[in-house]
Amino acid sequence: MPDDLPAIELVHATKRYGDTVALDDVSMRIAPGEFYCLLGPSGCGKTTTLNLIGGFVPLTSGELRIEGQQVNDLPPHKRNVNTVFQNYALFPHMSVARNVAFGLEMDGVKGPEVERRVDEYLELVGLLALKDRLPQQLSGGQQQRVALARALVKRPAVLLLDEPLGALDLKLRKQMQVELARIHRQVRTTFVFVTHDQGEALSMATRIAVMDAGRIAQEGTPQEIYYQPADRFVADFIGESNFVAGRPSQGTDGPVLELASGERVALPAATASLATGEEATVMVRPECVDVGLEPPPGPGWAVIRGRAIGVSFLGDLTRVTVVTAAGEVVASRPHAERSRAAALGSLLDEEVSVWWSTAESIVIRQG
Amino acid sequence: MTAQAGGPVPGLPAEAHAGSRGAALGRLWPFGPAAAVLLFLFFIPLAIVFVYSFWTVQNLQLIPTWTLQNYLKFFQTDTYIRTFLKTIIMAVLVTAAGIGMAFPFAYFLARYVSTRWQRVLLLAVIIPFWSSYLVRVYAWQAILGEKGALNWLLMQVGLISEPLTIFLYNDVGVFIVLTYVYFPFAALSLYSSLEKFDFTQLTAAQDLGATPLRAMRRILLPQVRPGFITAMIFVFIPIIGEYLTPTLVGGTKGVLIGNLIVNFYRGGAFPAMAAASFIIAAFIILLLVLFRRYLQLDDVVTKL
Ligand SMILES: Nc1ncnc2c1ncn2[C@@H]1O[C@H](COP(=O)(O)OP(=O)(O)OP(=O)(O)O)[C@@H](O)[C@H]1O
Ligand SMILES: [Mg+2]
Repeated sequence: MPDDLPAIELVHATKRYGDTVALDDVSMRIAPGEFYCLLGPSGCGKTTTLNLIGGFVPLTSGELRIEGQQVNDLPPHKRNVNTVFQNYALFPHMSVARNVAFGLEMDGVKGPEVERRVDEYLELVGLLALKDRLPQQLSGGQQQRVALARALVKRPAVLLLDEPLGALDLKLRKQMQVELARIHRQVRTTFVFVTHDQGEALSMATRIAVMDAGRIAQEGTPQEIYYQPADRFVADFIGESNFVAGRPSQGTDGPVLELASGERVALPAATASLATGEEATVMVRPECVDVGLEPPPGPGWAVIRGRAIGVSFLGDLTRVTVVTAAGEVVASRPHAERSRAAALGSLLDEEVSVWWSTAESIVIRQG
Repeated sequence: MTAQAGGPVPGLPAEAHAGSRGAALGRLWPFGPAAAVLLFLFFIPLAIVFVYSFWTVQNLQLIPTWTLQNYLKFFQTDTYIRTFLKTIIMAVLVTAAGIGMAFPFAYFLARYVSTRWQRVLLLAVIIPFWSSYLVRVYAWQAILGEKGALNWLLMQVGLISEPLTIFLYNDVGVFIVLTYVYFPFAALSLYSSLEKFDFTQLTAAQDLGATPLRAMRRILLPQVRPGFITAMIFVFIPIIGEYLTPTLVGGTKGVLIGNLIVNFYRGGAFPAMAAASFIIAAFIILLLVLFRRYLQLDDVVTKL
């Protein structure tokens, strides 16, 4: 069934530039209609991956398939893939409409059909009224939309976007994120989206590949990536994390982590038996951590004692930094009531406990 | 509070908005020297030559007769017409060859060479200007002659066994040397356009389905057209008036229209000289006008 074919498939793809390994034996399958995000720090190989798919650089080894066809040697203009470039690369000597029509003309589409499709896609991105302007007469956000329409008008199997929102200011960026998500739902094209902004990836993607030094560190849905990071690199890169390291052992109520201070911190019940004696690290997100003078009674909680050395009121939430035997632990607490903010504020310099439900924590590899 | 509109703007010196004619003239004085040079060394001599072109000469004396004879004679004399046409063909060929060599050079430079090496290579193109034109053309005599470097090289490589005499004192020599002399003008004009071009546009065009060649034609060329026009103007027009190179490496067979004008002058035929000069000038002006038309027309065509 052609519908089951992945839109993009990389099989053991490697790309070397001289001695630099930009992409190191990467395999990925992107299903049709996905909004797939490549996320990672600068230089990890995101652009290289897009360039390989777009056909702008050749693979050193491995295989690339688009809709099931092996396309390793197909030049860019013959690939059913279009790109939104980071700097937009609009043609400054052509009007908005001519820019959008360019790809259709290259495909030999003629006459009123060109006009009709150009209008359809300019409408989609909300720029129909500006079709006769030149690119330099548009704002950054509008140019961005032209680039989007120009690529989408060809109805490619896959749309590649290389940090398309990077040049926009924060507010416009948020707006465009919403816009992009809407456009994606509307056209149902496969999007492969490159960013180093985790918020962008989490909010838009159906699936995220976190890349590190030419490899995929983890691939999964935004929630999987956020709550079950595969290793410390991913946990660090996505959102904010608390790491608590110690020696695993078996406690009375289940597995625990023994800290240097002798405190025993409960681990998730499902934790597979860890080699005792070796260091292990448990990760928990700040918003899953609570803080107070006394921990709640009962099982299911991991508790550490410490001293609150910092309390910052951020309006919608308060961040409390606590020094423990396992290092600093940050608790990020929302306040539904005003009194809650005041209560948290009073913790500064007190001996406190931090705790979290063991279900919210996860044992991770030291990445 | 009454509105201040129309009143003097507080804080500005009174002269700034006095708008007096004296003040305006005062600001114009920096143009004075240039205007004087233009007037006395260009427009007035030009006017004198223009007047001469309608006079006649007898016993080396100019006689103000007002006749079109000088122009008619030019168009009725075969050798003049032939030399004129040859000059135009030469200018076309050299412009084509110069741009043909300069475009790949400038393209490569602007697209693939690091900024630092771009400077170095541009300098290498400009350095010849630091030596006199005369010296460079003499150097070419030494290269192209029967015992010159070119023949020596070809014989060493084994392409020929006898020195060739086809390089010097004919049109071939003139073509080679003019191409050399005008290459930097073409290269610099094209480079200054290409340097501003964002080459990801070509990638984008290919991404949208254009073959590399089509991307070049539809995206790059329209945007660097000013560079081409400048290159054409800077190469074509001076060649029409070239005198030194044809004299030194063209010999009697490589004469261009510039040499003809010098000959008129030396022979005391001032009216013939003046008429020939104005025919060239008229031709160039005509070309510029046509070129302008062509340019605008082309802009319209690509928009359609
Ligand atoms: N043309 C090239 N020649 C040599 N090395 C290159 C080339 N392009 C990329 N690289 C190298 O390959 C690695 C991956 O680069 P890539 O552009 O894919 O990173 P990226 O993830 O897109 O980074 P960024 O977020 O900064 O855009 C880097 O180490 C980079 O220096
Ligand atoms: Mg990049």
